[in-house]
Amino acid sequence: MDLEGDEMARTMPADSMEQHLDEVAKAFVDHYYNMFDSSRPNLPALYDSSSAMSFEGQKIEGAHNISLKLANLPFHECKHYVSTIDCQSSGVPGGIIVFVSGSLQLPGEEHHLRFSQMFHLVPTPEGSFYVHNDIFRLNYG
Amino acid sequence: MDPDIVAKAFVEHYYNTFDASRANLVTLYQETSMMTFEGQKHQGPASIVAKLTGLPFQQCKHAISTVDCQPSGPAGGMIVFVSGMLQLAGEEHHLRFSQLFHLIPTPQGSFFVQNDIFRLNYG
Repeated sequence: MDLEGDEMARTMPADSMEQHLDEVAKAFVDHYYNMFDSSRPNLPALYDSSSAMSFEGQKIEGAHNISLKLANLPFHECKHYVSTIDCQSSGVPGGIIVFVSGSLQLPGEEHHLRFSQMFHLVPTPEGSFYVHNDIFRLNYG
Repeated sequence: MDPDIVAKAFVEHYYNTFDASRANLVTLYQETSMMTFEGQKHQGPASIVAKLTGLPFQQCKHAISTVDCQPSGPAGGMIVFVSGMLQLAGEEHHLRFSQLFHLIPTPQGSFFVQNDIFRLNYG
């Protein structure tokens, strides 16, 4: 994604900013889950050493440990379906909070698992975003 | 102070206030605060609290299942992610929900809610 998060936050009029945020959030969410579902080993590139992940209550810090956690999840294949995406500017300069709800299908499982996930995207100097915070929870019925 | 303790204290305070007297939530928000409630966006304490006090139920009770928290960056902010259930008076079934708060420190040593996103979780 070729976006200048910090500059965007300073210079765009509010309505355009809002629409732009929604587009950025949707593009990120599509990219994240496509990558998760089809090339999970490439997902750690979206995190850095300051990133934090909570996965079903387990806290993991830094891209390296996050990479290990993602690689060791107890399923090889999966497909995410996104139901809702909400986003807001986070108050951290250029930062975006993205809140997703959806369902996760695992091969051989009849029922989808429902989940909620939040991402806090922070701009990189190169004009992209990385995932600074990631919290994932299954939603049990 | 342990961030998990701060997060838990905030969550209890928020939902106790919500369930007892929703209008008192106004002190937790500032002019820059944003709330998205089931996809509908509001900004600032007046607009946010008007939405909450205008919800189509008089009484409710939140029951919290999980609280996750993480620091949001160098400025001392905290992201708090809650899942739980909401019982409305007269309704037999609870509604399941997820809610995200981004808390920012105030000069007085407290926190205000900069970001608030609420979604019901349909089964």
